[in-house]
Formats: sequence, structure tokens, C-alpha cells
Amino acid sequence: MMMLEWKGKRLLASAGINVPAGVVIARESSIGAAVAEVATFPVAVKAQVRSGGRGKQGGVRRVDAQADLVPVVQAMLDTSYGGELPDAVLIEPWLPIERECYLSVAVDGRAEGYVVMYAPRGGIDIEDGPPPARYPVGAPWNFRVHALRAVLQEVESDYQWREKVVVLAQRLVRLAAMHDCSTIEINPLVQLSDGSAIAADAKIARDEWAHFRNDEIRQMREADRRRADPLLRASLEMGHMYVRLDGDIGLISGGAGMTMAAMDMIAAKGGRPACFLDASPGPTSTRGYRPALAMLDADPQVKVILVSVFGGGTQMQRVANSMKELMAERKSSKPMVFRLDGTNVDQVPAILDEFGAHNHATLEEAVAEAVRLARSAT
Amino acid sequence: MSILLDRNNRVLVQGATGQMGTFFVEDARKYGTTIVAGVSPGREGTTVGADVPVFANVRIACAETGADTAIVFVPPALVLGAIIEAIEAGCRLVVATADELPVLDTIEIRAAARANGTAFVGPNSPGLISPGKAKLGFMPSFCYREGNVGVISRSGSLSYEGAKRLTRAGIGQSTVIGIGGDPVKGTTAAEALALFHADPATTAVLYLGEIGGSEEIFVAEYAARADAKPVAALIVGQTAPPGKKMGHAAALIGSKAEGHEAKIAMLRAAGVHVANGAGEVMAATRQALANARTANTKDA
Repeated sequence: MMMLEWKGKRLLASAGINVPAGVVIARESSIGAAVAEVATFPVAVKAQVRSGGRGKQGGVRRVDAQADLVPVVQAMLDTSYGGELPDAVLIEPWLPIERECYLSVAVDGRAEGYVVMYAPRGGIDIEDGPPPARYPVGAPWNFRVHALRAVLQEVESDYQWREKVVVLAQRLVRLAAMHDCSTIEINPLVQLSDGSAIAADAKIARDEWAHFRNDEIRQMREADRRRADPLLRASLEMGHMYVRLDGDIGLISGGAGMTMAAMDMIAAKGGRPACFLDASPGPTSTRGYRPALAMLDADPQVKVILVSVFGGGTQMQRVANSMKELMAERKSSKPMVFRLDGTNVDQVPAILDEFGAHNHATLEEAVAEAVRLARSAT
Repeated sequence: MSILLDRNNRVLVQGATGQMGTFFVEDARKYGTTIVAGVSPGREGTTVGADVPVFANVRIACAETGADTAIVFVPPALVLGAIIEAIEAGCRLVVATADELPVLDTIEIRAAARANGTAFVGPNSPGLISPGKAKLGFMPSFCYREGNVGVISRSGSLSYEGAKRLTRAGIGQSTVIGIGGDPVKGTTAAEALALFHADPATTAVLYLGEIGGSEEIFVAEYAARADAKPVAALIVGQTAPPGKKMGHAAALIGSKAEGHEAKIAMLRAAGVHVANGAGEVMAATRQALANARTANTKDA
């Protein structure tokens, strides 16, 4: 879960990391009163969104005079960036930049924990340059100043700056572990003309599974759900995972790998999946599947619904009985295709038969049927 | 043979008296898993599955029953403590199927497991099964048969699907191990490959992977070795959009190298038999097995 920049910077500041003194204007606040607080110019006006690529979409603007500030802020609040309307704008003094660098700490499988990454040239085109230098830390208590110093010596010739980066990285690793951050990225990390370091941006991702021990993360999860529309929210509250795609075959599946395998097979057979919907983490009962089905039934993009579940701990006669219950109360007449397999699958055909449905024996058969039905529906 | 698990593992179940623990004890024993103890603090003195004694902690359970393997069914907030307890009590294998575990906890568990020489499988994983011998997880037993293909999977239900297809085609498995969908893993693909490489009963490996993360780099590295056992692979997520997390925390295309096309190309270049979709898993595995026989003939 991504934090907004201004909140991320507040977290950085709490660990003694230098950030610009910013003014935050929330969507619901009075722009005029907030803008009056800004006394020195030029300033950077920055849209507060969670998605990336804001800079390339005009979400960061330089303003040189008080009079221009209100229209710029207003326009930014009315523009969506990466499909997201900003919650707020952040106004910061325009920095006298000597150099832009890149510094991040992130969870990394190869490192068996955290990795520190540094590049002497940062900014918006970081992906186009050589890959950053990596210091695999592993468990956070294994951070060693001398080990990072040795890595930085290869890429950074300014020894005073190098020492600043080492100290910053040490604080970031500790911060990540203390606050369950999966990524803390400072890009750019700015070297000012006086040689000091300041975090000009902050992209911080929090580990949502730490919600039980971190109230801020718990609140972020709740806010994420509140932002979703009511149909999706009901499904998310069941623990389901949903990614919208642009096709017409609504897919209800279980397990991330199985769901992707079904999506791929739909495409291979000439169809188009409408979503990734992994319903396995939630309670696999009528209560769990009801909101998933309601969401796909209400989605005009979805022409056919394919239920493909291969259960281990999830017992398939229970899934079949849930489907029976849901079909009895369902208003939509969108065609349904079933492919249930796994524990107790031998009981499934008889249950589906009770409401006139057929259980396809293989994923191939079920997908072919869904693709055929989607074609005839359009 | 098999890797990590057979009938000789003496299994204790942490969280044995909960709904999942109770179901597991019954189902896994039916399959042949040797379950010797349950651990549920406060419920000591009771039994699960009719006659499996429940103890207050892992140390006592190990001392009383000779348990050497633990599987954990406790809520996410308690997983870290439960696994560290099992590791420090001397268990040689610990399995955590739980999803929703904070990654920092996995990092700590992995470090503790390495320091103590314990094998740790999970989290966010279906566990593992050595067909015909024992299983540690909820996998549907009918999908498996004993044989000589080692299976490694990042996804639970996809491992059931893959194993069932092999079984239907008459191809048995030595061990099917779910390494899990999280970025930091108790057992990585590279480590599972090393175990299968050393197992004389495994002649070929089927790897079931996904978009996102760097796990497949190590599969390709292994397959490119001169002494490697033949590897077949399926990588799912061809239709996944970049930048979106596909259920698993690690199934997120962060860069081009983590996309479907790049992974397929890398695996093919290393000599891996890559399946074009789930429907080709058997064909790819058959090719790998044929490859193994050719290699054996040459050696002879």
C-alpha cells in the first residue's frame, strides 16, 4: 500500500531525514487560506497521488508568484493522474539542486530481506540509466556501515556525500523495519548547493499484512476499501483480490497462480478476461462468493462468468452448495460456466445438477465454453 | 526417495485444536503422514484426531514424542513466535501455509532457520507432499502419485492442477513442494532445485512459476549447468498487466525482466522445456523426462 508523498515525508522526518518544509492543501480545505501561508517563491506544486509517473503527466509544477498559485492548485485538484484524483496538493520551496541521486531500501527475495539501492544520478528517468548499485542487507539487524561503504565506493566518488548516504541508508533500513515498510524510495535524493542532502520525493509502500500491529497501516487498508465502489468494497471486505482487466469473461477463481493460468488460457483460446479475481483468501462460503458474483453481474463489461476453483483446503462440495444457493437468489441472466476440481470433487456434479448446471472436467473445456458464450453474447 | 518429507518425519501440529489443525490431523494421517503430537497452549492433556496427544509447548512435545517436524496453523500474528519456538526446539523441518504474514516476520524466521540448520517451507504456500509417503498441507490427495518428477510451485492451486495433469498422464512425482507466493521465502526455488538435484529418485523437475520477482533467474541458472537434471516449466501471467499485484505479493511485474516474455525467453535459452499454457504441462514434462533418459544412456 502506497503512502502519499507528504505522509511519507513526515515518516522520513521522524527518523531525522531532511525533507522540504511543505504546506499541504487537502481537497476539502479552503485553498485561499492555505495558499496565503506560502511566503517565499518559487515553489513546487505537487499532486498527491499513489500511482507513479506523476511528473511526466504534469503533476509537478513550478510556480513563481503568489497570484498564480490558486489556479494551479485548483487545476491540479481537478485533474486525475493515472486514473486517480489527488487527495491533496503539496507546496514546497523550489530546491537549489546541485545533483539528483537515487536511494532506496526495499524487500528483495534475492537479498533474503532488505536491499539498499543507490545511483549517483536519479530523477524521473532513473529506469533508463544503468541499474543502481545494490547492497543486500538481508535481515535489518545485519546492516553494516562498512559493507555499504564498500559498495558505494564503486559508484560514488565524493567521499563526503558517500558518508551522508551511508547514514541515510542506515536510518531507512531501521525505519522500514520499525514501520513495516516494504519499500522506501527517495528519488530524487537531492544534493543542495551547500552539499547537504534532502529528500525531494518519497515513495513509501507499507506491508498491509502488518495491519494487526500497526494502526496507521490498518487505517490505510480501511481507507483503500472506502475509496473502492460499494460492489468492489463488499468483495474486498471478504479478503478477495481483484484487478480489473479489459475483457468480457468475468473470472472467479481461487489462488493467484491458478487464476493467472485461467486468464492465460482464456486469451490463448481467443477470449479476453474481464478481471483477475482470486476469491480464495476469504471465507469460501456463500457469504464469500456472493459479493464477487454481485460485482460481476453488475459489471456491463462482463458477458459471461467463469467459476474455476481447484481447492485443497477448500472443499468443493461446499463451493458447489454455495453456488446452488447463489443461483437460486440471482436476478442476472448472464451465462455461468463452472469448473470445480479438488477435494471432494466427486460430490460436485450431483449438486450442480440440482440447479441445471454442468461441471466441466477440465480447464480447457470450461474456458472453451466461456469463450464461445462470450462470442455469442456480443 | 523424496526431499524433506517421507514417512519417517515425526510431525507435530501447532494450533492442532483449531478448525484447520483438526482437519489437517485427520486428512494427513489418512494419507500416511506420521503425526505424533499437537501443541496448543492451555489445551495440554487433551487429544486431537482421537489419539494424538496435545502438549503445552513444542519443547515438551518433542521430548515426549520424538517429533522432528512442525506444521503451523495459528493466526498470522502468532506465526513468527510459533515457528521460532519450533526452530529453537530443534525441529529439522517447519512448514507454514499461512498467508497474510508480514514480510518482516518471514525475514526473521528465515534468518533463524538458517542459523539453526532448519528447513523452512512457506509462508503463503500449500506445503509439500511426497506422494505415497506423507503430506504436510491440504493438497487433494487424488491428484498425486509416486514417481520421479520433482515439482516446485509458487502457487498452491496451480500445483494441484499441475500434479493432477501429471498423474492423469501416468507421470508420478517424488515430492511436490509449494515455495509460496511471497517475495521472501523459507525455501527458494534455487534451494528446492538443489534438494531435487541431490535426490537420486528425482530424474526431472517441473517448475510452476509466475510473473514478478527474480526466482526464475535461479531456475534458468540451474538448468544451464552441465550436470543439471532436465527442467520443464510453466510461467503464468502472460495476460497480467504490468504494475499490478496479482494476488501474491511477489506476482507484480516491476521491470521488463519480470514480465512473462522475458522469463520465457531466459528459461528457453537455458534449455528449459517451457509449456505454452497449463494444457502443455504434461508434454513439457515428458520432454524433460525423455531428455533425462537420453542423458542416462549416454552415461552408460
